[in-house]
Amino acid sequence: MIREILVNVLCPFLGTVAYVVLFNVPRRYYVSCGITGIVAWLVYLGASEGMSSAVASFLAVMVAVFLSRMLAVRMRCPITIFLLAAIIPLVPGAGIYYTAYYLVTDQLSLAAERGIEAVKIAFGIVVGIAFIVSIPKEVFQIHYWRGRKRRKRLKDMN
Amino acid sequence: MEINQITENKQDYMDLLLLADPQEDMIERYLEDGDLFVLSENGDILTVCVVLAKEKTCELKNIATAEQYQGKGYGKYMVRYVCEHYTGRYDLMYVGTGNSRKTLDFYKSCGFMNSHIVENFFTDNYREPIYEDGLLLTDMIYLKKKLDTEIDVKRVVDLALEAGRILLKNGGEIFRVEETIQHICRRFHVEDVEIFTLSHGIFMSAEDESGDAYTKVRHVPLSGTHLGIVAEVNELSREISAGQVGIDEAFDRLEEIEKMPAKREYFQVIAAGTGSFTFAILLKSTLAESMVAFVIGCIIHIWVLLAKRLNFSKIIVNIIGGVIMTALAILVLHMHGSGGLRLEGMITGSIMPLIPGVAFVNAIRDIADSDFLSGTVRMIDALLVFVYIAIGVGSTLAFYNSLIGGLVL
Repeated sequence: MIREILVNVLCPFLGTVAYVVLFNVPRRYYVSCGITGIVAWLVYLGASEGMSSAVASFLAVMVAVFLSRMLAVRMRCPITIFLLAAIIPLVPGAGIYYTAYYLVTDQLSLAAERGIEAVKIAFGIVVGIAFIVSIPKEVFQIHYWRGRKRRKRLKDMN
Repeated sequence: MEINQITENKQDYMDLLLLADPQEDMIERYLEDGDLFVLSENGDILTVCVVLAKEKTCELKNIATAEQYQGKGYGKYMVRYVCEHYTGRYDLMYVGTGNSRKTLDFYKSCGFMNSHIVENFFTDNYREPIYEDGLLLTDMIYLKKKLDTEIDVKRVVDLALEAGRILLKNGGEIFRVEETIQHICRRFHVEDVEIFTLSHGIFMSAEDESGDAYTKVRHVPLSGTHLGIVAEVNELSREISAGQVGIDEAFDRLEEIEKMPAKREYFQVIAAGTGSFTFAILLKSTLAESMVAFVIGCIIHIWVLLAKRLNFSKIIVNIIGGVIMTALAILVLHMHGSGGLRLEGMITGSIMPLIPGVAFVNAIRDIADSDFLSGTVRMIDALLVFVYIAIGVGSTLAFYNSLIGGLVL
């Protein structure tokens, strides 16, 4: 059990940080990138119990991208840095291998299955990001909510 | 003839400053915080000038030319110099003076216009009455000059385009590039701007007040991603918008940012290995398989770095990358002999360093922002990488398969 937790927290953290290093992300963002990666992976893990991996990826990306946007506003930096961290634990790298493997071993129906699944996961990621990215950016700034509360209070008073 | 800014022993210039402002304690009020400029020639001090900068404006507090050099245009030269010096960081230059025709005409010839009047300034603040050309000075007349008039549209466009180019080259999204260009232009009061950005080019055109258009096109070839540079340019653009950075400083900063080095190569290689290892474990490989993935990941990244140095195209890099990882995994499988290792356990993790994360993410963002043209180009760029890897892996497996007669697979 403890080993499970360790693997599922430590590995996505390390892996995500290692991956963003390849894109020269500045050191001060490593920890937040790692946490985004953990969140994406844990949500995926939890969701994939009862759902297809495409839907699980979609949910995981939604949550992780939401977190990314909050982090980007908070740390005043391009969101790309965190988006990278959000998708990397979910990218269907294994799908590529299996598709190629089944193709060359002439198991075409399995190849199609794996290939289509990889494409579905990719679509899940795309839609997940596109959804959250389309939310107007004011929502992620603290004073929007403060202002909202104030506006609401004023309305109540009237 | 040269102008220098003095930061130490400002008191040494008090004699000259007193020519323009006869009361020493009034000078001391601004001398400490103000910027002191001195125009000198062959060691002789000709003109001194003090400017006090506030948030968005600055005020020329004192300007004086030594008596024997007056009337030779040194004062005007100094005013032009300080106006240029503060342009970009401040919007307005104020100057306050007594109601004397000679001084007012001087400032108006330097491009100042009437602003406002502070009544009884001289009689309230000075112990002794001041006479200039036989007239008693009472009210302080303020004049102002807009500092953006000195700015050249071309220079602003060059700056904005350079910032945009660096962003695009290092993995910025289309909307970020356009937003940055717009922010910089607006900051320097170039309002009439049209930008068209593609995944590998920026077209930009700006109009100045007289209606002359200045257009520039920049080709930005696809190349390596450096998100550190994107973050820095983003930060610089924030500072420019807030008015903290002038146009010359911005050029210098951009040049500096572009020289930012990539992470050290051995560090990148270890990172690629670590990534391969951890993702192999997440994909349910055994510990031994993951260790192999670590080594393969390192080797793959060494190949990527080597290929970058030799300017190989993406097709070659990724297909050969796929070949290398599969061949290595097969090699380990055979060396190990007794089984227990699975091919897929070793390969699936080590694909990681080749995954085109930034291209993929940016493609999605561009499409979400309705930049379909660039979004599609980048998406194809990203998806093709997956296809190339699959080709590399697949062809090696097929070759191996035919070599041993399809038994092991």
